[in-house]
Amino acid sequence: MTAPAMRPERAGRTAPMARRTHGIAPAGPLLKVEDLVVRFSTHEGTVHAVNGISFELESGETLGLVGESGCGKSVTNLAIMRLLPKPAGRIAGGRVEFDGLDLVRLSENEMRDLRGKEVAMIFQDPMTSLNPVLTIEEQMVETIRAHRKVTRAEARARSIELLGMVGIPKPETRLRSHPHQFSGGMRQRVMIAMALSLEPKLMIADEPTTALDVTIQAQVLELLRDLTDRLGTAVILITHDLGVVAGMTQRINVMYAGFIVETATTADLFAQPSHPYTVGLLHSIPRLDAERHEPLIPIEGAPPDQRRSPTGCPFAPRCAWRLPVCWTDNPPLSPIVAGTRVVLTGPDTTHRIACHNPPTPEEATAGMPLRPGFIAAPPPGVVVDELAATLDLSPAAAEEVVIMTDEGPVSTAASAGGLPLPPEDDQR
Amino acid sequence: MTVEASSAATASRPSATDGELLRVDELKVWFPITEGIVIERHIGDVRAVDDVSFALRRGETLGLVGESGCGKSTTGRAIIRLYRPTSGRIVFDGVDLSSLEGSALRRMRRRMQMIFQDPYASLNPRMNVSGIIREPLEIHGIGNGAERRERVRELLATVGLNPDFGERYPHEFSGGQRQRIGVARALALNPDLIVADEPISALDVSIQAQIINLLEKLQGQFDLTYLFIAHDLSVVRHISDRIAVMYLGRIVELASSRDLNSVPLHPYTVALLSAIPVPDPVVESRRRRIILRGDVPSPANPPSGCRFHTRCWLRERLGNPERCTTEDPPLRPLASGHEVACHFAEDVADSIEQRQATGRPASASRAGAGAGSAAAASAGGSAAGGSAAVGGSAAGVSAPAQASTPGTAAPGA
Repeated sequence: MTAPAMRPERAGRTAPMARRTHGIAPAGPLLKVEDLVVRFSTHEGTVHAVNGISFELESGETLGLVGESGCGKSVTNLAIMRLLPKPAGRIAGGRVEFDGLDLVRLSENEMRDLRGKEVAMIFQDPMTSLNPVLTIEEQMVETIRAHRKVTRAEARARSIELLGMVGIPKPETRLRSHPHQFSGGMRQRVMIAMALSLEPKLMIADEPTTALDVTIQAQVLELLRDLTDRLGTAVILITHDLGVVAGMTQRINVMYAGFIVETATTADLFAQPSHPYTVGLLHSIPRLDAERHEPLIPIEGAPPDQRRSPTGCPFAPRCAWRLPVCWTDNPPLSPIVAGTRVVLTGPDTTHRIACHNPPTPEEATAGMPLRPGFIAAPPPGVVVDELAATLDLSPAAAEEVVIMTDEGPVSTAASAGGLPLPPEDDQR
Repeated sequence: MTVEASSAATASRPSATDGELLRVDELKVWFPITEGIVIERHIGDVRAVDDVSFALRRGETLGLVGESGCGKSTTGRAIIRLYRPTSGRIVFDGVDLSSLEGSALRRMRRRMQMIFQDPYASLNPRMNVSGIIREPLEIHGIGNGAERRERVRELLATVGLNPDFGERYPHEFSGGQRQRIGVARALALNPDLIVADEPISALDVSIQAQIINLLEKLQGQFDLTYLFIAHDLSVVRHISDRIAVMYLGRIVELASSRDLNSVPLHPYTVALLSAIPVPDPVVESRRRRIILRGDVPSPANPPSGCRFHTRCWLRERLGNPERCTTEDPPLRPLASGHEVACHFAEDVADSIEQRQATGRPASASRAGAGAGSAAAASAGGSAAGGSAAVGGSAAGVSAPAQASTPGTAAPGA
């Protein structure tokens, strides 16, 4: 472990949690996920969707869950809401504690009472989560009256107030519209209004702006931030867009193949990205504020097939920093500065990663290993040592090299650190 | 290679003027709106592309960027002649495509290919990979069986796939690999121009860079010209030499990639830039977004005058001048190689909004709107705070008369 000696100064906006208030501050965190394991049974075998993740969330905190499709970020939240598709999906282990209740053990009725009132969810595509044959009024009034003892007129008045709050012009008339009469951005506003109608303590936003254009995304994110800030709602924001979490969240969990591989405050994560996957993600997207034409450094290969139970570090096959141990031993999530007392929530959250051989800050900036002569460990069984010795695999070599092995040609983009990769797993 | 035969056939290409490969002149693509089931009546048009002109030089990458519904994909498809233009000219290497039909069109199409957005929908699931890549060779009657087989293997290797994978079917591949197959198919006929329509937006973040790098490598290797269509300005900026920003069927700004990012001159471009989140909380806290109100108006009934006036922040700041609602602003050159369609683009130059959107460290304070207009008033003086490029373009802005260089100027060399 090469733990950096010094932490950089905390940058960015200071966590606005201090000014957040929440009615009753419960003892302990609002949400506590412990060793959550989710499995899907399919015809092709069991999918290891979430593999024992743990995290906590305070009242009013905004947490980002970042990762690519299939990394388990959405499944984690469906598990929290107990909305996993049945009968394929099931919580195979762990606890989800929300406001003192163990959600895994609640009955279906108790859970239904909780959804919407205590925990609300907004989805990527508002068209599929709004009922197309009912008016907005019918849907909103129904939601409010399902949880609150109010008259229809009161619920209607509240709906108008909410639609006005999310910036829908002429809410009294628009209430009688059907979902298809709204544009994508407007539909997402309606979803936000419905999600906040019962002032939930936690809102889960699953890729809320992915289907929207950037100028509309900016509108919706601004709205979401304002409202949840004002109401003191805790938010779990699920996205693949590192730009969105940078401006919206206080803490971030980076997920890969059903594991949390890095967790830190937003400022720490971007100031010192420390897991090779996070480093890879940051180098594989062009940045609008880049000084000049900086070459992109792609993460080679593709995410693993989660139908096989994970052995070793899940990221090892694509990692430029991997050691032989990475193929066999999955590292636990531990502080980047060894021996630090672990804080799980708030602005002092400990920066933790799951990595045997983390990049140094210089390597993280460069996006590739800089240690002289370092070659990522080949997978057990594929012998490429002799070949590697005869080839220029230095990071400077820009061309792609194809090495012939027994299992066919192995392509390697030397820009990613000159590592011969095993034949890709998902080509079966 | 086997396909050299076809290259020989096209060796007598009329050598284009000044290396210009493609010129689009006043292109309009309107889709009719009809009413009635038995007797269809024509009641209007969706003006998907409405008077678009630009030129593409050989070996250059032009980015076409805009939000959904702005007409960028329609433009790309009309160039390949997947749509028939309503009016206007598409001149490809000296030949006007808009009037070509039948075999003459097919012969020209050999030299332009398309890469599609969705690698799941654009490959026939019932054909194996080698069949998919071989199909263009068969359609155009190039090579015999053995030569085609050899060409397919070579193409697979070129795009970074195992040449032995030809017998496999699309469903056996991941999204990124499928997109590589799409690229191989586009390369099969040795085209000059590739229209890439959102080639990476369906892919995972970690895979996108693989495809971008592949496209860049192939451009150098095969001397390709790209029309790169995407909604993501940061990706477009990375790959393009020049960028055209579209809004509601029109090009509103056309500039080199660098100028567009550092000195955007159209209010819409400024808003678009400001809306893109940057993966850095430090930068994010420094930037201030311009939140455009409302949605894009319907292209069936575009607003009068400037099409952006209904959402324009600059118009509001200038006290809603009448000119914006009555007069359609033409695309006019403001600086060398920088064209913009706005009556008041001079007011955007070095405005506080422009600086905030680009995230440039501002020379003036970024306090409020009051300070903003003060900074805009002293535009000439405060340009010193910006980069050299800013100073240069600001000078160009103040002397638009001399900046008569057409938009086809060389990409920033």
